[in-house]
Amino acid sequence: MPQTDLSAYLPIALMFVLVVGFSVVSLFLARLVAPRHPTPEKVEPYECGIVPLQEPVQRFPVKFYLVAMLYVIFDIEIVFLFAWAASFDDLGWYGLAAVGLFTFLLIETLVYVWRRGALDWNLPRRRRYQRAGAAAGDAERTAA
Amino acid sequence: MTVTAGWYLALAAVLFVVGASGLLLRRNALVMFMSVEIMLNAANLSFVAAGRQLGVLDGQAAVFFVMVVAAAEVVVGLAIIVTVFRRRATASVDDLAGLKG
Amino acid sequence: MNGSLTFLSVAPEIALAAAVVLLLLVEVTFKPRAWAWAVVAGAGLAAGTALSAWQWVAHRGADTGTFWNGMIAVDGFAALAGLLVFPLAGLGLMSAWRLAASQGRRGAEFIALVLLAAAGAHLMAAAADFIMLFIGLEVFSLSLYVLAGFTRERVDADEASLKYFLLGAFASAVFLYGVALVFAATGSTTFYGDGGIADYLAGTVIFRPGVLLAGLALLLVGLAFKVSAAPFHVWAPDVYQGAPGGVTGFLAAAAKVAGFAALARVLTAVLGARADDWVPAVAVLAAASVVVGTLLAIVQDDVKRLLAYSSVAHAGFILTALVAGRGGVGDMWFYLATYAVQVLGAFTVAAAVSGDRAGRSPLAHWAGLGRRAPWLAAAMTLMLLAMAGIPLTAGFAGKVAVFRAAIDAGYLWLVIVAVLATVAGLFFYLRVIVAMYLASPEEGASLPASPAVGWGARFVLAVAAAATLVFGIAPWPLLEVLRDALPL
Repeated sequence: MPQTDLSAYLPIALMFVLVVGFSVVSLFLARLVAPRHPTPEKVEPYECGIVPLQEPVQRFPVKFYLVAMLYVIFDIEIVFLFAWAASFDDLGWYGLAAVGLFTFLLIETLVYVWRRGALDWNLPRRRRYQRAGAAAGDAERTAA
Repeated sequence: MTVTAGWYLALAAVLFVVGASGLLLRRNALVMFMSVEIMLNAANLSFVAAGRQLGVLDGQAAVFFVMVVAAAEVVVGLAIIVTVFRRRATASVDDLAGLKG
Repeated sequence: MNGSLTFLSVAPEIALAAAVVLLLLVEVTFKPRAWAWAVVAGAGLAAGTALSAWQWVAHRGADTGTFWNGMIAVDGFAALAGLLVFPLAGLGLMSAWRLAASQGRRGAEFIALVLLAAAGAHLMAAAADFIMLFIGLEVFSLSLYVLAGFTRERVDADEASLKYFLLGAFASAVFLYGVALVFAATGSTTFYGDGGIADYLAGTVIFRPGVLLAGLALLLVGLAFKVSAAPFHVWAPDVYQGAPGGVTGFLAAAAKVAGFAALARVLTAVLGARADDWVPAVAVLAAASVVVGTLLAIVQDDVKRLLAYSSVAHAGFILTALVAGRGGVGDMWFYLATYAVQVLGAFTVAAAVSGDRAGRSPLAHWAGLGRRAPWLAAAMTLMLLAMAGIPLTAGFAGKVAVFRAAIDAGYLWLVIVAVLATVAGLFFYLRVIVAMYLASPEEGASLPASPAVGWGARFVLAVAAAATLVFGIAPWPLLEVLRDALPL
């Protein structure tokens, strides 16, 4: 491996030093010169001047997780399209057919997810699907 | 000092150990799961570094597939963890001790 | 390479994937009755089996051919794995049919997951490249994680699913890092051909084999997790006990078949040149599994948990065949095939006794089963005797075959340990049999209502009993045939 010329990284190193230095200095200076008269209202977390009604950390509804999970899986599958696009000329019709099949499988999955109601915010369709399974679960809970 | 591929392999080994110890020592299912992801990325880094050192593209190609598989694993894993979390309001594996013997 | 043959090399996977796509599309479009699921799944599995049979006829005993730039291997080994995995998935579905049908519209997903697991399992056996093996492993494992927690309304099931997932993902990561290290040492992830790993290891003297040996060890650990060999077995009891009864049999049988198929190809064909390095490790794993599985099975009071520890011991017996290297692969297949059928049969009975969706199956449920359900008790007795290795059952023939392979390889100490464990194992198998025939239900104990056996489960038990007896009385024809199933 050739000897890398590290001097090219000098501006980045300087930038790094400046950034860290600036933030440390301003934090320190603020603590040094700013007047401090804490009152109970002032130490509350700031929320448009209104007294906070509840703790800021809450549990999110599960449907957000569902959408996030669906997003992750579809998002990452696209990575194969980059590889195909980068060598489009070499792969030709064969590559196009292969990617077509791949895309069909992705869309088929999307159709399934959609028809199952996983994308519905208000859940009427999802409920319909879940009813049978939930009923089975209820029966089991009563039996146990 | 030149940074050779060997250093990246060493970093990958460190990452792998960090991930493995995280999985074995932490008790929160989400954190344990993140440790697994660190281990997978340690393997990815090894693939790329070794491929670069040997001058072959196989390493980078492998990483593509590993990334996609890891994403699939994330989705299945999160779904399972959310299911557990909804029922018990805890993600600590110490509270999951119904099955033993 | 001729084009049509290239596609035929992955034809079983294509058949299964097409069945899954069709199943899901039909499901959301027409919302059909359960029999339509059965038709699609049956067609997919039958096509997969037929294509594997065709590959077997065309390639048995021949050298391995590779396709897709050395990604997929076509040989007797891969074909036999298909002939084993696809019918096993079909039997697993029959055994789990009542469970699937009770899940409402989610039942289609259950069936799709079983088909995907079967496709992944065959891909693990047919992979000729570590990356393809990893993909097969993950397709297979991810399906099983979800299946283990399918009845998510029940507390045990999601616990089983989470434990399976965390430890399984850990094992996958260990395996993958092993692959990365082997790649760093040899410069390839492909098994066969010029520049493949086998070729490189056979033709090169490695002066500093540290990276290679570390990679080899991690590969072994990762796959040992998947087949639940001690000391990497800790997930198996919790998962088998917590998973819904109907699907546990498929879980146990498929994990063993797929894991050992991958292990056998990787060890004998790819790392064959380093046999001196891995054979002692495999021997120690085998001895540890046999001893730990047997000792812990003795103290269990839950039949599903007991079967789980027994499966750890059986992982040890199967590993015993692998210390003979390539010479033991045929014996490994015999043991694996007969054990997979037995364990599926045993868990099918457990599902009938304690319920399709139930996780636990305490020994109290089994008291007096011989009077309440004589046929179920008889089937369970046969399966347990076969697992214990009583003569005239396939279990005995399998044990003789793997012990002979290990003795030929010079591992007498391992065989002595395994024989002692077999004798000790009789105790816990007999304990279940005694409970079924001699104990009577405790006063006031809440037994599940009379054991419910569907037609699918009956068929599975009939097949399992027939296979266990036929291959127990006359194992030689099958043993002879399996000599052609080597990953050359």
